[in-house]
Amino acid sequence: MIDFIALGVFSLIMVLMAAYGYKVSAKTAEDYMLAGRTIGVVVMFFFVLFAISSSWTFYGFPGLLYLHGPGYVMFIWGSVAGFAILYILLGPRLWALSKINNFLSPIETLAERYESKALRVILSVTMLAFVVPYVGIQPLGVGRGFEALVGTPLWVGAVYAALLLIVLVVLGGMRIVAWVNIFLGMVYVTALLGSLLWVIAVVFPDGGLTQAAHRLTEIAPDKLSTPGPLGEFTPALLIGTFVVGLLAFSWPHVVIGVMTARDKTLFKWFPLLVFVFGGLFFYIIPFLWGSIVAPAALPGVTDPGEADRVVQTVIQTFLPRWFAVFVLMGVIAAAVSTAAVQLMTTSIIVARDMIQGVFSPDASDEQVTRWARFAVLAIVVLSLSVTLGVTLGIGEAAMALYLTDVSVPGFAQWSPALVGGLLWKRGTRQGAVAGTLAGVIYLVLGLLVTNAAGERVLLFDLHPVVPTLPLNALVYVVVSLLTPRPSEEIEDVFFNEVDEFLRSESAAAR
Amino acid sequence: MREMLGHAPGRIYLAVLLLSVLALAVAVGMGITETPDNGEPVLIFGWITMPLAVGIVFVLIWLVAYLIYFFKFWPYR
Repeated sequence: MIDFIALGVFSLIMVLMAAYGYKVSAKTAEDYMLAGRTIGVVVMFFFVLFAISSSWTFYGFPGLLYLHGPGYVMFIWGSVAGFAILYILLGPRLWALSKINNFLSPIETLAERYESKALRVILSVTMLAFVVPYVGIQPLGVGRGFEALVGTPLWVGAVYAALLLIVLVVLGGMRIVAWVNIFLGMVYVTALLGSLLWVIAVVFPDGGLTQAAHRLTEIAPDKLSTPGPLGEFTPALLIGTFVVGLLAFSWPHVVIGVMTARDKTLFKWFPLLVFVFGGLFFYIIPFLWGSIVAPAALPGVTDPGEADRVVQTVIQTFLPRWFAVFVLMGVIAAAVSTAAVQLMTTSIIVARDMIQGVFSPDASDEQVTRWARFAVLAIVVLSLSVTLGVTLGIGEAAMALYLTDVSVPGFAQWSPALVGGLLWKRGTRQGAVAGTLAGVIYLVLGLLVTNAAGERVLLFDLHPVVPTLPLNALVYVVVSLLTPRPSEEIEDVFFNEVDEFLRSESAAAR
Repeated sequence: MREMLGHAPGRIYLAVLLLSVLALAVAVGMGITETPDNGEPVLIFGWITMPLAVGIVFVLIWLVAYLIYFFKFWPYR
């Protein structure tokens, strides 16, 4: 009973925050979609960090480390660099462009940069196809947590998470999603770090992490170095994992965060938090959980599903039950914070880029905001269908593969057009369309065409991003160079004016 | 990034970032994260594994380079 009261209070706090957000919002599309471009550096940091720190940091990441040893941490180092690249190299220009021209989505920015409605449709459909199933996995994570800790069927937790998401995003919009991420992030960090420290104190009282590592040296030394006990993390895979992490700069729900910034100083301070709090603190917590503490405290797990739940199992085995409920709140926080930002991003793409951008260019602010809210409902229903499909036996393994093998390479397919559009004056509409189509078509065919042994022959059995992204970038550059350069007006609006704006803002600040 | 390419400190900053990525790849390729021939995995302070140590060094290089460039040389600071 106390479990449900605690979860009820936790949910009520979020619902009240959403209601408050609805009350104080300006009821404009810019306010609903981009928080009125008022997000400061601290809120932005929590907003972005917990937009990407889904329930994967509690289940999938420690589970992989548990089974394969510490090599998978290369993904984290790549991701830290990737987020820094977004805010250091691309962020100021994307922010300035969207602020000067009142763009509400990064896809809108690129469509205007390349003067192409076709590109807007291609990018929108591509991003939606790769984000929507990603949203679906989050309610599933909450459902699993409920199942394990409270004993309810999986659908109860999934529906609970979906309802929370609807209230948060429909009522609160981007501002409250960002603010709630601070609350959720604090709950999650406290649960993850608190449980780690407590388990270390209980299970390894005579030396802490050193004692745990020493025990691992005795029972499973392969888990303390690469290539790991199964021999999978060879140098080539380590470098490949780092590169895949580096592509974090192209995740659409992270890119859109840049456009909510209050001012340019955010881009000066934000990387400090990425390096210090993200790289040197936050991501080390699940790393220690999965690579040292869990395998030393509970050795012998070999099933991938059980490995995914190993942190939860250790907590339930060694800590009091009431703390396990608090940890469940942390898992809900991680799942909801990520799914809410993904939902906001997809609803913006549907309302601003698809409906207004293609079918109804003269729509009012009020109409666009209403469409965005309806889109939230539709996407949640779609994502819940995915969750239901998984429970009916379509396959959890297939879903996990979708995330790593499809979503991340899919997000990467807009990066040549994005980077080129912001930094390369010579990038053309034809180059962006041809490159993106080449990359996406190659990716889809590469994933679908397999030989009798199940190998992806068109991808040469490599990670899908390895052959598809270079092809995309090559086609973009070659076709851009072979077609007439963009007009002087485009060069003025997207390069010269932005440079002047950023310099004048700097001069004003001094 | 365009503003960084426009002056020497920016080009040096970008070169440091690129070199650090290459150095990480070379170090991993040379087997720095693997168990040495004596059969005992390397543990700094008794618990820091080499993939963690390598990443911490990598992040520290990016942090120091960022602090120097963004607070002393970045044109939009």
